[in-house]
Amino acid sequence: MIRSVSAKYAMRSLLSHPMRSILSMTGIGVGCAMALFATSYVGGEAEWQIRAVSESGAGHISIVPNGWIEKRENSVRLADWEHALEAAQSLPGVKAITFRARANGLLAFGNRTAGVEVTGVDPERESRSNRIVYKAKLEGRYLRPDDSGVVVIGRTLAGRLDVGLDDDLYVTMAGRDEIQSAMLRIVGILETGSRDIDAAICHVTLPDIERMTGYTGPGEISILLTDYRLIETDRKDLAARLSGSNTVITWEDSNPGLAANVKGDTVFMNALAGIIVIVVALGIASAQLTTVLERRHEFAILSALGMRGGQVVGLVALEALAVGVAGALVALVLGGPLTYYLSTHGINFASLIGEGFGNVLLDPRMYCVFGPWLIWYALAISVTATALVSVYPAWLATRVDPAEAMRKV
Amino acid sequence: MNDSMNEILVSAQDVSKVYKTGNIETPALRGVTLDVRHRDFLSIVGPSGSGKTTLLNLIGALDSVTRGRLTVLDQDISAMSKRERADLRLRSLGFVFQAYNLLPVLTAVENVEFVLELQGVGDERRKRARQILEQLHLSELADRRPTELSGGQQQRVAVARAVASRPRLVLADEPTANLDGENAENLLRMMRDLNERDGITFIFSTHDPRVISYAHRVVTLVDGQVVNDERKNS
Repeated sequence: MIRSVSAKYAMRSLLSHPMRSILSMTGIGVGCAMALFATSYVGGEAEWQIRAVSESGAGHISIVPNGWIEKRENSVRLADWEHALEAAQSLPGVKAITFRARANGLLAFGNRTAGVEVTGVDPERESRSNRIVYKAKLEGRYLRPDDSGVVVIGRTLAGRLDVGLDDDLYVTMAGRDEIQSAMLRIVGILETGSRDIDAAICHVTLPDIERMTGYTGPGEISILLTDYRLIETDRKDLAARLSGSNTVITWEDSNPGLAANVKGDTVFMNALAGIIVIVVALGIASAQLTTVLERRHEFAILSALGMRGGQVVGLVALEALAVGVAGALVALVLGGPLTYYLSTHGINFASLIGEGFGNVLLDPRMYCVFGPWLIWYALAISVTATALVSVYPAWLATRVDPAEAMRKV
Repeated sequence: MNDSMNEILVSAQDVSKVYKTGNIETPALRGVTLDVRHRDFLSIVGPSGSGKTTLLNLIGALDSVTRGRLTVLDQDISAMSKRERADLRLRSLGFVFQAYNLLPVLTAVENVEFVLELQGVGDERRKRARQILEQLHLSELADRRPTELSGGQQQRVAVARAVASRPRLVLADEPTANLDGENAENLLRMMRDLNERDGITFIFSTHDPRVISYAHRVVTLVDGQVVNDERKNS
């Protein structure tokens, strides 16, 4: 029960124009619901893209040799990689860890050649953590831990070289001391649906690449986390545990272009949400201004009775707060179920991104983010917007001449 | 006459008020000199446009003087800030308006209580508001909203609100203008009781002969000047 007479006055004044108040609350509620949806969508989209890139080999965070970011030199290997692997395994929220070594090579078959980045992998770990391996269509089989002298390539690369399963590829690559060559038998051909990616897949076992290049150990350790929100804390945690020869990077460092896209999308959607809220808030400002102008005589009476400017502002602000809180409730009623549905059922983009591509690199369904934060977010937007737009009407209310109370109405 | 009755609550010395609209100046008061003493039951009369409401506005700290010196309860109105004038109105003055001006969304008791809340009175304000209504024989109207009250009842509640803060001075602008004979009589008796019993000083502006007949003192304004100041034998 409200005991303050001022609060009763504010609430009853709102209720004395029920339709106007309901429209104001609905207006701000609809605007906030759209902002909630936009934020939930942006969060889901970012998570979707981060998951796609991190599960396609990059990991959420990676350990690379110092200077790798600047030079991207494939011949550089991790220092004391077993220790680095141990440190990675002890991190909280780790879903999978894999390690790789890369080398620049030239594949040849008959009179055809193709330059490619050869990736030496741990077959078991790669099968668990790289969706390009476990989601793509596979002709033949993937690498096994005891394999030697075999290779898995992408469909586009196979087409360029005009090769199929059991064909022997002639591989040349830069070794530690001299150019090295070897014959590798094709045991599997992967097809992701992306011609560019299928042109770049060339997987061999880590021992094979070590033998061919003469460089030992992996050049990177990729760590997949259970929740992308752990990236920053785990990055710092891991960096503190490593020796100075290696460095920890995030998916954003290894994929700056995609990171920029995600940030751009986030900024755009947040700006869109902001514009929606501003447009709605201006509508509320107009309604509030009308209310204050209609109640000039009442404000004059209040002032004549001795109400101070600050108390008048408080009264208008209280009415705005009530509209804001009610608007937030409307936003949650409208936006909550929608975002909850989209967070559990997702939005199916299969028809937009294509079945093959969508199933491998991106999940066809994108899930919006949902959680208790929606309540605070709705309240923050709604109350802030209504508080800001009530500043001018409140100021106007304090400017009413108390002598107006003496005028006959 | 004792010392208390000689105390001057309002002192106007050569007070003028000029309203300006663009370059046009409209004088509303011209050199008004007037003292109002404690327990006065004073009626300001005069034709429309004579400056009655303007003088009440100035005494009520609702407006500022253009020239001259006006002190209310020993405070110089012309030297006071907006906030100080609001404080003076809240703590020491009461207002009764011709149009009653009760807050429509509040009940009678809440209208009275509102003034007490503004004054910072705590939890006992509801009790005090009810006591005031009871003293003025308005208890049965306490929980009604203004729309549920007659004009006379609204004006009596307005008087209750005006005296809730125990002011020394109540200003009433044509308080009986919208009331019929019986309601006007009831209201005037109530205000005179408050004047005699509680020592509250009343200043009215009025055209109403009934109010004039109740007044102890009648000040006549014409064209913004005091032309007559008559004290009646009570």
